Parts: sequence; C-alpha cells; structure tokens
Amino acid sequence: MADKKVSKKDIAKLLKEWSQQFAVLAPSKESGVAAFAEWDGKDTGFLDWYRNTVIPPKASFLPPMEEMFRFRKGKEGYNIEPPPNDENKRLIFGIRPCDARAMSILDMTFKQALEDPYYLSKRKNAVLVGLGCTNPYESCFCTSMGTGPTESADVDIMLIDIGDDFLIEEVTDKGKELIAKTKDLKEAAKDDGAKAEQAKKTAYDKVTRKLDTEGIKDKLLASFDDEEYWEKVAAKCISCGICTLLCPTCYCFDINDEMVKQEGTRFRSWDSCGFPNYTKMPMENPRQEKWRRVRQKVCHKYEFYPMTYDVIACTGCGRCIRLCPVNWDITQVIESVPDKTGAKK
Amino acid sequence: MTVADSKFFAQGNVYVPHIAVIEKIVEETPGVRTYHFNFKDERLRKEFIFESGQFGQYSVLGTGEATFCISSSPTRPDHLEFTVQKVGKVTNALNRLGVGAEIGFRGPYGNSFPLDFLKGKNLVFVGGGIGLAPLRSLIWNIIDNRDIYNKVDIVYGARTPADLCFKYDLEAWDKDKTVNMVTTVDREAEGWKGKIGVVPKILEEVAPPAKDTAAIVCGPPIMIRFTFPVLEKLGFKAEQMLTTLEKKMKCGIGKCGRCNIGNLYVCRDGPVFSYAQIKDFVSSEY
Repeated sequence: MADKKVSKKDIAKLLKEWSQQFAVLAPSKESGVAAFAEWDGKDTGFLDWYRNTVIPPKASFLPPMEEMFRFRKGKEGYNIEPPPNDENKRLIFGIRPCDARAMSILDMTFKQALEDPYYLSKRKNAVLVGLGCTNPYESCFCTSMGTGPTESADVDIMLIDIGDDFLIEEVTDKGKELIAKTKDLKEAAKDDGAKAEQAKKTAYDKVTRKLDTEGIKDKLLASFDDEEYWEKVAAKCISCGICTLLCPTCYCFDINDEMVKQEGTRFRSWDSCGFPNYTKMPMENPRQEKWRRVRQKVCHKYEFYPMTYDVIACTGCGRCIRLCPVNWDITQVIESVPDKTGAKK
Repeated sequence: MTVADSKFFAQGNVYVPHIAVIEKIVEETPGVRTYHFNFKDERLRKEFIFESGQFGQYSVLGTGEATFCISSSPTRPDHLEFTVQKVGKVTNALNRLGVGAEIGFRGPYGNSFPLDFLKGKNLVFVGGGIGLAPLRSLIWNIIDNRDIYNKVDIVYGARTPADLCFKYDLEAWDKDKTVNMVTTVDREAEGWKGKIGVVPKILEEVAPPAKDTAAIVCGPPIMIRFTFPVLEKLGFKAEQMLTTLEKKMKCGIGKCGRCNIGNLYVCRDGPVFSYAQIKDFVSSEY
C-alpha cells in the first residue's frame, strides 16, 4: 500500500474531519503556557511556534486535579457516587516522540497490580498522532533515552515534516484504521520516502546533548548511601517541584477531601517527591532533608523504575532542564554519579 | 494473595471505599484506640477475607483517608479491627466518632505474613508500642492454629506501663502455657513487675536461638533499627527476620508514589518484608 501524506495547509481540514469522531487536542497557548487543549476548530498556527508544550500531554490523562467521586451524608448514612468512566475518544495531535514514550512508561504504573480506572478509561480510547521534531531544544537528549525526534514506536500515527507536506506513517492498527477512514489524503510521491529519511537524519543530528546511561542503575545503587554526593547534587535545588510536576513520566498524586455541609468530593492532584510534606507522617518524615528528596527523584527515574519495569523513566524531553529556576541539570547529575560498583559487595 | 481481590471493589472502582460501621471502641492507652467495625453491605460482611499483615485505607469522609493494618485475626472473622494513635488529621477525626458512626474502607491491600514459611518454625515476636497491632493479628492467627507452629516467644515493650497496648491480649498470652510472654517498659515504674529496659536490650537477654526460628519485628522505626543488629548477633540471617513497615500512603495500590523504600512500594510489595529485601535502603530511608 502506498504511503499517504497531508499538505500542511490542509491540517485544519484534517483536524476538522477527525473532530467528527474525536475530541481533538492540539498544542495551544490559550491558558498562558503551551499545553494540549481542545482544538478550536480553525487555528493551526501551532505548526509554526510549537517546539514542545510546557505542560506535558500526561495532563490529558492524569489531570492536575481530578474528581474521584462525590459523597453525601444523609439520614441513612453516606452515599458515594463515582463519576462514570471518562471514555471520551481523545486524539492528541502533535505529541512529540519523547512525550509519547512517556505515555507508554506511565501506562506501566497505571496498569500494574490493580488498574487505575480514571487514567486507563481515558487512555484506552485515545489516539496519539505524533509530530516529528524539526527544531529540538538544546536541553533535549531523547536520542540517548531510547527514543528520538522522529521515533514512531509509541504513537499510533506519525507525521514527518517533508517540506510542504507531512508524510504519514501508520504505526498501530488503531492508526491504520483511522488513516484508512480519513478522506482527502494525498498519495505520497516516489521521492517522499527519501525526503522523510533525510528529515529524520537532520532532526537526529540536531539533538546534540548526549547522556551515557550505561550501568547507571548499579552505580546509583552503590552510591545510595553517599550522603556527601547527594548533598552536593541537591545544594541548589529549591524544592519547587517543577521538574517533577512537569515531567511527562512523573505520576505521583495526592488524594484529598472537600466537604461543605453534607456534600463532599474526593479528588486527586499532582504531587511531587520534591515537597517535604510528600512523605510526612504525623510522627516522622523519612525524607525531611532536601538531599533525600532529590535522591529519590533521581533514583526513582534511573534506578527504581529500571529495577521494576526494566526501563528508565526519563525520555530526554529536557523539560526539567529548561524549566528549572536554578539550572539544575539531570544530565550533569547522572554523569557525575560516582562509580562505586566495584567497591560494594 | 498479594493484592486486593477485585471482587472487593466498591462499585467497580478500586478507589471507592465500602461503607463500614463502627461497632465498638476500645481505649488501649491515652491516645490509642482499637475500633471494631463491620461492613454495611451484608454480602461483603460474609464474603470479605484477608490475611494477617494486610492493611486497609480507612476514610472519614470529608476529612480524608489514612492507612492502617487490620489488627484482628482472620481466624476470628465476625468483625474487623484496626488500632490507631490519635496523631494526624484522619486519626483525630476518627477520635471524634462514636459507636454507630460510618467510615469508609478499601482493601485488603498489600502482602501478608508468609504462613507457609513460618509453619513448623519457632517464632519470636518483637513489638514496641502500637507496633503490636499487625503482630497481634498474626499472634492470634497462630494461637488459633497452635499445633502447626513450634515455640512462640513474644517480647513486647512500651515506654511506660500505661503505654502498653492490648493489655487484655498480653494477659491472655501470659496465661497461655504455649507462649513465652515477656513484657517490658523503658524505665522503672511503680507497681511494675515485668522487665525494665528497651525492647532490643530485653530481646538480647531473652536470647532466642536462631536455629529454625523466624523473628517478626514491628515497632517504631528506632526500635526496628536497633532490633535487627541484635538479631544478627543472635545468629539470625536476614531472611529469617521479618518486619512490617509503615509509610505515608495515599492510594494503597502502588500508584501515588510516596511509600517506596528503594524500588519497593510498601503498599504493593509489602508491608511485610524480610530484612534481606530492604537492607540496602533501610539504613537511610527508614
């Protein structure tokens, strides 16, 4: 079957068509920062300004704040009403490969043991349409983290910029079905494949930041008790939590209740291992000191997640580097972990 | 069983608690209470099962949710119990509730004490303060199946005689000829006839032989930290030392992130661990 392509000037038409059966989410600056938001039905200006969103696409599946259920206290006691599962069909248009990989990483946590109904009901009906990067940031290091600026492994459909058009790669069955049903796509020309290969190579070459993660899991394990090292790593951190809240693979959440008179809501909200209250119990706090919290953040991504799921929970999106107010840099940290693997049993 | 059985989900959603009713409240010490409760739903009351060591997420709706182990034994299933100290938001709200009040319960969560491993062994229980709560579930479980276990020693202590929890159980175990019950308090107190000294020190005096023995330890972190070296000195291997840990939890099912010790989530991989499993991290994370 011949490949399809879509002209850049026809993207609005394409999204309109997809809007018939999906809630289409596309990059938007409507809220003040770049984030995926319901597409407004016309604007494709993001094709010009969009490099990556500040708020990662996980927010469409694990919202910053989400109602879990409502309850009411009546004469017969409490009555609890969970909301119906949100099975809206979402189409995320323009997700970057790093963030798509992050979704695959998040899936592991929400699927394991007992399934999380809020996340998975949204996720299972979602279509991810990836958009290959042409202009990665200096802080990006995706090519060192098992993905890359045009990698299609974690999306359903991938679009590669070949000039006036996007060449369409149909990745999953879900993606193939959608493309088969989509009208008005153009047949790719003979040399479009070669153009896409060239575009990919150019994009890969633009990701200049590299990170060597060879043996990192064992190195971190051997250096876990190196307080001096962690103190040094944590020195400038101000515990603002941005690197975790806006990390596309971070999933930690808090659960709280609100109740007015006889009616209440239980909701969950993003939380961060960078906050001292995160692990605080009434009588003690195992991570009262900042260095313990920074260690947790680093080790969770590069040591504990690999121990559990055999994958590093970092995709090199670079947000934690770009958005850190004190220029804390995960790649510098990972590169400076002392190698004590030979010293410890 | 390592995770809750999905048939115990309320309304098909793992995060929705079942409504339960408080049937009895026992004042253990000033500030520590044991709540007896039962599910409102009759079917669940009959079908609910759990194992010693498992925990639940308890709600005071409108205030929030907190994590406590089930302190009663599955061998005595006519009601469930949990024991808490009034120290935080939820436990203070619980303290304001009376018999007949409704609470929320999700669970049972987490793994349990490995009965197959304990079978036929000598057992040494080492408990401090309210840390007896999870051990108590197992101790009654063992007493109710006494012939499949060997010798049982219980070393339990609290700061003062008034801080000893489950005094009615301590008395019963003291009278039980098949159990060696040693009770201690940190400092001398008027009228106190038991041992004097902190739990790890008394454990060293009792000196249970390590051969064919398992030690089950629960108490404040400081007690746990000082107990493991004593057991090591007595010849216990890391695999023979079990503990059950407590951490701040929100979800109880390995998703909200905060209860980890290294790569292990206390809610998902525990709360029962052997010292062998956690020794790489426990020194600096617990």
